[in-house]
Amino acid sequence: MRKNILLTGTLALALVFAACNSVRREEGRVYMPDMAYSRAYETYASTAALQEAGVHYNARPVEGTVARGAMAAYPFANDSVGYVRSAEVKNPLDVAAIDMTEAERIYLINCGICHGTKLDGNGPLWKGGDGPYTAAPRNLIGDPLALNMAEGTMFHSITYGKNLMGGYGSQLSSKQRWEIVAYIKLKQIEAGGGATAAAAPAGN
Amino acid sequence: MMSQKAALKHLSTLLFSLLILSVSFSRAQDAAAGKAVFMSKCASCHNVLKKATGPALAGLEERHKWADHKELLAWINNPAAYMAKDPYTQGLKAEYGSMMTAFPDVTLQDVSNVVAYVNEAAKPAPVPAAGAGDSAQGSDNQNSVLFGVISLLLGVIALILMQVNSNLKKLSDQAEGVTLPEGIPFWRNKTNIAILSIVFFVFGGYMVAKGAIGLGRQKDYQPVQPIYYSHKVHAGINQINCLYCHGSAEQSKHAAIPSVNTCMNCHKAIQAYEKGPKLFDEEGNEIDGTAEIQKLYAYAGFDPNNPNKWDPSMAKPIEWIKIHNLPDHVYFSHAQHVTAGKVQCQSCHGEIQAMGEVKQVSDLSMGWCINCHRETKVQFNYDSTKGNKFYSIYEKFHNDIKSGKMDSVTVKDIGGLECQKCHY
Repeated sequence: MRKNILLTGTLALALVFAACNSVRREEGRVYMPDMAYSRAYETYASTAALQEAGVHYNARPVEGTVARGAMAAYPFANDSVGYVRSAEVKNPLDVAAIDMTEAERIYLINCGICHGTKLDGNGPLWKGGDGPYTAAPRNLIGDPLALNMAEGTMFHSITYGKNLMGGYGSQLSSKQRWEIVAYIKLKQIEAGGGATAAAAPAGN
Repeated sequence: MMSQKAALKHLSTLLFSLLILSVSFSRAQDAAAGKAVFMSKCASCHNVLKKATGPALAGLEERHKWADHKELLAWINNPAAYMAKDPYTQGLKAEYGSMMTAFPDVTLQDVSNVVAYVNEAAKPAPVPAAGAGDSAQGSDNQNSVLFGVISLLLGVIALILMQVNSNLKKLSDQAEGVTLPEGIPFWRNKTNIAILSIVFFVFGGYMVAKGAIGLGRQKDYQPVQPIYYSHKVHAGINQINCLYCHGSAEQSKHAAIPSVNTCMNCHKAIQAYEKGPKLFDEEGNEIDGTAEIQKLYAYAGFDPNNPNKWDPSMAKPIEWIKIHNLPDHVYFSHAQHVTAGKVQCQSCHGEIQAMGEVKQVSDLSMGWCINCHRETKVQFNYDSTKGNKFYSIYEKFHNDIKSGKMDSVTVKDIGGLECQKCHY
């Protein structure tokens, strides 16, 4: 009988422990803090202490420099003059050598959510007006404005953003942006797009 | 004769209902045709209720001279010419920073249809019946309380019954005249002490070992973030790819926390949380999604009433709390796992697209890492579309040695002269 009491007690205790599955809001402790926490400044660590000490840390690359293996900087600024002049710029990549599966992958990750997997301007964020986005994304294979847009202008718009679209200069490298432009132009031709669109990649 | 009459009657009813149907259709067509025109021509820049690239269209007939659709048509067909002699539209250009695109092929009928659609869409939508989510949440809580009360009651009843049983036994023994030696109280009973101490050591040992193993591990860590950002809404419902925001996971040691401008790519337009399900934090409090978006605007320095005046360079970083921490002596690279290893985000981070608040699913212990490294098959370069090309150089060496082009592989060939091999 004593055993029974013990058994009930343990069971009741187990029940109590199982019942309190509270949310863990605290990090917890570590064995050896000097081995767990970095002495050096890690990525995303606060630099406030440095600033207090008079050290100013700027994560941007030195102006005018080009990273090894990267493409030369895009020459035009984000203004109306730059937008007009962007039409002069040609795709510096060899379009025939672009891996279109990779270009499609980058397009689907970064552009597809608004402009749609079929480039018809009906991605999951718009869904024909049922999605949360408040403006219709451009139909890249049906809208004459997109069909007639020069590849340089397209690159300019992807880099800096246009109307409600944000700029992707911080998310995609120049090479990736040009690959996306080539991919869109290719899809426009496949969908029977305008002659101007066909002329662009055919140049190579 | 009778059947003919009946048929005629049927026919007339049919015709009549068709007539009614056609009347109601022709009325609806106005707005429906307007919606089609609006979606294909206007929606890129205009929203019915919200400011976008251009002004919100709701109530446009009360503004300027737009009640006269001919004026509206003249403006839409040729904005530049119309604006030249009209100060109101000049003011619009100054406010929004750009002039409207001309739509020379839009007709007066189109304009009327679009206005009909706008008027219809501007009407407040009926409020859907609320409370379904609430009751589900509530019943869940009630259930656990109920179970607790029931088990407590059962426990008390069991204790009482045992006590009654022992008292009855004592009474019956007395009645039968059996005299038992004075019992030892149960806390001095050696068997009980032995059992209790064994249980204590087993249970205590288990808790100590568990606590010690848990030191430095953060499984289930789920801190309160500065903004209630729901991965369920973004990655789940709206199907945004993980790499849209955390793109550097492919190239860098870190899967970047997106900067404010990445949030603003979409939230410049999406200024309110309206179309998704109700949001709750882990404590069960309801979250106002729109208020959370406002917090983002405070960091970004963005004024929703003046979307075109936003200066991204004035944004302040959001200090998100890092959840997945490894000790300083462990090196982990996202690029190696995501690009070369082709590991899915969910393999380590769990069903992140279903999480309102993110929590650490894996314990990130050494055993956990080792286990995955034991079981995961390397995806070699099968062909040009599948697998990684990370080990292709070894395949080349293998073939070169086979064909006699090389006789041995030196450390230099496998990257031994890279500066970082020693100077990292």
